Amino acid sequence: MRFLKDSGSLCLLEVMFGSIWGCFYASFLRYWLKWFIRQVTGRCELQRICADCKSGAPRTTKAEYSLKNSKSSVLRAAVDVEEDHLDQCLDVIIREKHIKSQKDPTFRSNLKVCLLQITGYTNLFASTEALRKENFDSERDEHEEMLLKLWDLLMPDTKLESRVTKQWGDIGFQGDDPKTDFRGMGMLGLTNLVFFSEHYTQEARQVLSHANHPKLGYSYAIVGINLTEMAYSLMKGGALKPHFYNTVSGRPQLLHFHQLYCYLAYHFDKFWVEEKPASIMEFNHYREKFHDKIKIQLLDPAVSLILTEESKKQPTK
Amino acid sequence: MGLLSILRKLKSTPDQEVRILLLGLDNGGKTTLLKQLASEDISHITPTQGFNIKSVQSQGFKLNVWDIGGQRKIRPYWRNYFENTDVLIYVIDSADRKRFEETGQELAELLDEEKLSGVPVLVFANKQDLLTAAPASEIAEGLNLHTIRDRAWQIQSCSALTGEGVQDGMNWVCKSVNAKKK
Repeated sequence: MRFLKDSGSLCLLEVMFGSIWGCFYASFLRYWLKWFIRQVTGRCELQRICADCKSGAPRTTKAEYSLKNSKSSVLRAAVDVEEDHLDQCLDVIIREKHIKSQKDPTFRSNLKVCLLQITGYTNLFASTEALRKENFDSERDEHEEMLLKLWDLLMPDTKLESRVTKQWGDIGFQGDDPKTDFRGMGMLGLTNLVFFSEHYTQEARQVLSHANHPKLGYSYAIVGINLTEMAYSLMKGGALKPHFYNTVSGRPQLLHFHQLYCYLAYHFDKFWVEEKPASIMEFNHYREKFHDKIKIQLLDPAVSLILTEESKKQPTK
Repeated sequence: MGLLSILRKLKSTPDQEVRILLLGLDNGGKTTLLKQLASEDISHITPTQGFNIKSVQSQGFKLNVWDIGGQRKIRPYWRNYFENTDVLIYVIDSADRKRFEETGQELAELLDEEKLSGVPVLVFANKQDLLTAAPASEIAEGLNLHTIRDRAWQIQSCSALTGEGVQDGMNWVCKSVNAKKK
């Protein structure tokens, strides 16, 4: 008992020491350490990151941290710079940090990629948010056309009898009219579903066939919209940064977000089939399990959640 | 008395637990209601596959609220959650007049369930923020609520989106639990 008490207070001490050290490091030591290394190597922190770290998440994540914690307001503002002012911003950084371009010729282009990725992520989130806020509207032809396209891509051999029909249940919508199912995910949900069916048609149909399994099945479209929510939340919290930094060497676009959704849709199905849940009522439990699995993958600096050729080649049932 | 024993004493008188079942057709607003009760963000709700559960503290009760998906395909699973239910909350989309008949049938079937016999029922006439919403009185009449004799019942108009009317409904829930336990 006494030992437990001691180890408890030891733990507390460690935590206290840890946080004091953290404060000390961030506010004081980091600055002097950087200054010291700069004097020895002749290069500033950003130069060292751009030269020594592997391109992608390892480099861009460190550059982002360095910029955000800089003492210089110019550097701190760089993470929010607009594309039109990017070159100007790079000039200012180079001047501010007294970097000689002849001595470090790759610095500018390397940092430019980092900045495109950092600001691109923020912009991509704004685009997904805008699409999410766009409600499905039956009065708009392009929305209706997209919905019908989803049906044709998934069910090429079956004709939809009417716009409002029980048939929608065959691809996993809840009722006779899918429009209410988009709810909080709006057009982002529908666009993801259509993108997966259009660009990975075989995979999408394979997933649909699993979803329609009498015992192990689930509602394809509803689960798809749920996975859009997962992708959206990961995006919002910044968890997808390493993935996009590794897979897009510039500004990520909506298309890259849709591709990430495809990865989730394909791999959630695989996970579900492997886990063999007792019934669809277990969905939220397995969703959380899958969510945790993805979050762990995203902690790896080399993460890349891309549907690979290998999975494309798998035979379809 | 040390801090620890005070804490222990507090712990030994826990809130009375109440099991609440939240049912209704899909797109009625059950999950929005659940999140509203738990004071959570309601801006990106997706259709419920399976169920959600949350515990909320209210008036000395610990309300364990079970929100079960409403799509036709999973309605057969509803009965798995009937046991030990203290209060049934039935949520209706007051603006979806086309499905009043369907929702009435589902409610009638629930009220016939043996495992739910005598369980107080609160009907939320939800989505009153919409202009096309039917008033609670009209819904009560359509559902023949006045013919219910075997249990306490109440209809409450509300908007899960704005939160209006939700607390009034929950007050009735707590009151009816108190009445039942006495």
